[in-house]
Amino acid sequence: MKRFKPTLSHLSRRTFLQVTAALGGASALGLRGAYAQEPEKPAEIIVRAWGGSWVDSLKAGVSDSFTKMTGIAVRHDLTEDNEIQPKVWAAVAQNRVPPIHINWDTTTNATKSALRGVTEDLSDLPNLANVTDLAKPAGLEGFPIVNTYGYVYVLAYRPEAFPDGPPKSWKDLLDPKFKGRLAFYNDGIGFHFPAQVAGGGKLEDIPGNMQPAWDFITKMKAQQPLLGEDPDFTTWFQNGEIDAACTISTNAREARKNGVKIEWVVPEEGAKFDTDGLWIPKGLPENELYWAKQYINHALTKEAQQVWLDGLGLPGVVPGLTPPKDLVGDPSYPTTEADFKRLIRVSSKIQVENESEWFSKFKAIMQG
Amino acid sequence: MRAARTAYPLKWRIMDALEGVAAAIWPARFRRATPYLMLLPAVLLVGLLVLGLIQIADASLRTLDTTTFQFSDDYSIANFRRALTEPLFLVVAQRSLIAALIVTAVTLVFAFPYAYLMVRTRSPRLRKFLLIALFLPFFIGQVVRAYGWLIILGNQGMVNEALGVVGIAPMRLIYNYPAVLFGLVQYMLPFAVLMLAPALTAIPEELEAAAGSLGANWVRTFIHVVLPLARPGFIGAGVVVLTLSLTDFAVPAILGGGSQDFIANAIYDQFFRTSDQGLGATLALMLVALGSILVGLVFALFGAGTLAMGRSRA
Repeated sequence: MKRFKPTLSHLSRRTFLQVTAALGGASALGLRGAYAQEPEKPAEIIVRAWGGSWVDSLKAGVSDSFTKMTGIAVRHDLTEDNEIQPKVWAAVAQNRVPPIHINWDTTTNATKSALRGVTEDLSDLPNLANVTDLAKPAGLEGFPIVNTYGYVYVLAYRPEAFPDGPPKSWKDLLDPKFKGRLAFYNDGIGFHFPAQVAGGGKLEDIPGNMQPAWDFITKMKAQQPLLGEDPDFTTWFQNGEIDAACTISTNAREARKNGVKIEWVVPEEGAKFDTDGLWIPKGLPENELYWAKQYINHALTKEAQQVWLDGLGLPGVVPGLTPPKDLVGDPSYPTTEADFKRLIRVSSKIQVENESEWFSKFKAIMQG
Repeated sequence: MRAARTAYPLKWRIMDALEGVAAAIWPARFRRATPYLMLLPAVLLVGLLVLGLIQIADASLRTLDTTTFQFSDDYSIANFRRALTEPLFLVVAQRSLIAALIVTAVTLVFAFPYAYLMVRTRSPRLRKFLLIALFLPFFIGQVVRAYGWLIILGNQGMVNEALGVVGIAPMRLIYNYPAVLFGLVQYMLPFAVLMLAPALTAIPEELEAAAGSLGANWVRTFIHVVLPLARPGFIGAGVVVLTLSLTDFAVPAILGGGSQDFIANAIYDQFFRTSDQGLGATLALMLVALGSILVGLVFALFGAGTLAMGRSRA
């Protein structure tokens, strides 16, 4: 008797949906034995992640519960998202098994991989039926990436440095007293669009005419800001190196959790809203691809999102999530249409096509 | 009568067998080529580097299509044009070059007395202390050392705390160009001392004593005897420090606060931030070319230093 061993090559979309739906139901009921008919389980799934509170939240919300549910260990690879990208691209180009199963990535970065054709299609994940529009990557066909939450590049500040009240505008940072006391991302990400508005330009002019943004950034350059990446902001706030920064609210919240007095606002010009997502590189063995998809499917459950995003303090893509207590009504945790109106969102496609030029321009100004 | 076991021991037999195998693989008539065989690992290593450079050269001639994130099939010099015309790359190249020159000069000035004392001291204890102090930094990586400076020189670091005790407000000691230069000098010092020490050891002490007995004070002895004889060490150390500083990545990244990028940082950005490996490869090739030209210039002007190439046989 030939024992039936389902593999994805035999697995029709319908079968996949049936199996994963059963899996979802079984997981809800806590039935571990329900995986008997699943493809062979790998010893581990490797998920690329950002370090610090980012990976801690993913582990608590998604990875641990996935391991509990399936028995598959989850290893978090903390290689930077920018550095894993060429490795994955090279592996796919050379028909090698990629170094990771799942990439937790910015949507912009992930879009590059999708445009290059190195991402697996995730359209058949059952839990996509329950997500908001935010989960769908704009400008791409199907689901080469699944966005899992949104985030805001807020203006984070130390209240002692603003005795007259919170800053209202990005222009407030041009005050000479903040010279050498500001920080931005080293490629300017998160600041290009608000700078366009603060510089007197229009968002509709992006990407055609961004001169107002460059003019405003040139003024900001005179303030001799520090330029860094996510972990730097938390460190700089903690060490008293800076008074204000344009950073993802999660970093500011992390500094606050560590005892640093820090607040954040969405200034009147607005703040950039963007998304991160999960995707699977092509070239995985079929059984591993199956379980990698299960991981992402699990990340889209309300239970996983609630814990994961409580840790990050970010709004998810599943309706009905409860905001963390400290972020109820917070502009960095948009939930209503009015909240989103204050934020600036530019399609990933435009960002991807122009990012290189914007980064170069920002760098040219800041390095000059 | 049975031969004694020690007459022809087993290990001799093993050696004979090994010699037989060696003779079969590499017959005696090839003996004259043996020195060249020794070069094989080095040739292989250099060959691999050359292969890598050929690949980088190939990538440098391909441009990135940002609608597909694939590289062009055709060759063009667009990346080179960008690298030579965009102000960012010119600023970064200029900064790297100036820093490399300053760091080399300062490091050599600091390294010489250290190396001289280490070589000439009569106290074994002091020599051991200087040697340990020299090698300790090698056990601590460059990144850790740079972070150490952040802790010492940061706003809440030891130096600012000490200044605070005497009523001086905290000042920004890091995240600027001088901080990068400082970090590089500190990183390069052991390399320079290690390169200088053999050259100083090779100078017979009697020569200095002879100069002294002929009436030269220590300044004249230093200028007319020690310095010229130490030239190979200076050149070797200078070349090593110059090239390492020119291509450094970590110190500008950590101590520069993001606004003091060197060429290596710009290359990283192209490879990993904008995914434009073609432009990154172009910058990498230009960095290799710049470093090679500088080293070539040094060799042309001052000779090959400790390599002592072209020296006539005694």
